[in-house]
Amino acid sequence: MASSLENLEAQLEMFIENVRQIHIIVSDFQPQSQNVLNQKLQTMVHGLQEVDKLKSQVQDVHVPLEVFDYIDQGRNPQLYTKDCIEKALAKNEQVKGKIDAYRKFKSNMLLELSRTFPTELSKYRALRGDE
Amino acid sequence: MMGEQFRKVEQYSPKSSPRGARSPVVSRQDSSGTLKTTILLGKNPSIVPSGPFYLLKEPPGESEITGATNLMAYYGLEHSYSKFSGKKLKEQLSSFLPTLPGVIDSPGQSDNSSLRSVIEKPPVGGKDLLPLTSAQLEGFRLHPGPLPEQYRYTNAAPIKKHKNKHKKHKHKEGIPSTETAIADASGDIHEKKHKKQKRHDEDKERKKRKKEKKRKKQKHSPEHSGGLTPSQHSS
Repeated sequence: MASSLENLEAQLEMFIENVRQIHIIVSDFQPQSQNVLNQKLQTMVHGLQEVDKLKSQVQDVHVPLEVFDYIDQGRNPQLYTKDCIEKALAKNEQVKGKIDAYRKFKSNMLLELSRTFPTELSKYRALRGDE
Repeated sequence: MMGEQFRKVEQYSPKSSPRGARSPVVSRQDSSGTLKTTILLGKNPSIVPSGPFYLLKEPPGESEITGATNLMAYYGLEHSYSKFSGKKLKEQLSSFLPTLPGVIDSPGQSDNSSLRSVIEKPPVGGKDLLPLTSAQLEGFRLHPGPLPEQYRYTNAAPIKKHKNKHKKHKHKEGIPSTETAIADASGDIHEKKHKKQKRHDEDKERKKRKKEKKRKKQKHSPEHSGGLTPSQHSS
């Protein structure tokens, strides 16, 4: 998986570099550059073919749509990861707090019930198989 | 359905019941199937619970992982957490993709380059990508000369922005850069540098003038009418 992503990244980088060079050529075009430009255009088509070939290798990569919003706004997509991690941690702590509170509640309740209804609770425990 | 049930309960509520505080006989459906009772008729009718009471309903199955466990550690994401929580991440997209040419920090909607638009309106695909024929290449025969101003400035972008930052001090005044944008950026830098230098020179001159003025003042003051400094006195 990592290698296929690296391949795609390298391919895209090469493609971008080629486009950048085309940009330089056309921004102050000289007639003798026509052949080079033609070559670069063919390289661009080839680059697109290569990217298309790599499509099948990254089919199982799932990208959250929200990341695109970050990128579209010119923001660092790592901020999305950071936000997600922070949210997950906060939720994890919250749920842990709830579970701990319920555990305490259960033990306190059993304690109080055993004081108030000792026989019933022992029966209950016997039925439950807690004892 | 729920509303009906509530209405029923209200109708038979102990307060409104003609039998006082006695709980009314309301048929309750036992959805759990655990409230089994045996009704004994005869001389002494009684209701005996024959099955386990509801507290003995099967508890939910114990799962190996719950919210009580540290999920970050469980999934081995502690490294990622410390990586992102420790340092302050730079906001700009260009800090994530420093090698990408062009202005990438501006919103994608402004120049129709948003990724959203690719999802919402997918480009026409499914056709084979074939190399351009010589006839097709004819369409790319360009006129010599630079691009018109409006295209040059909108398209030309600071290439490798980060590298430029480091190169700032390496640029020498008067040497034109090949990239228009770079030239612009470096031009700005030089101007700033020049301004700084100018200000520095001005400061120096002002100080010099002040010093001279002070010296002149001292010469003309009554204390120094003799024209001798204390050091001269002692000697």
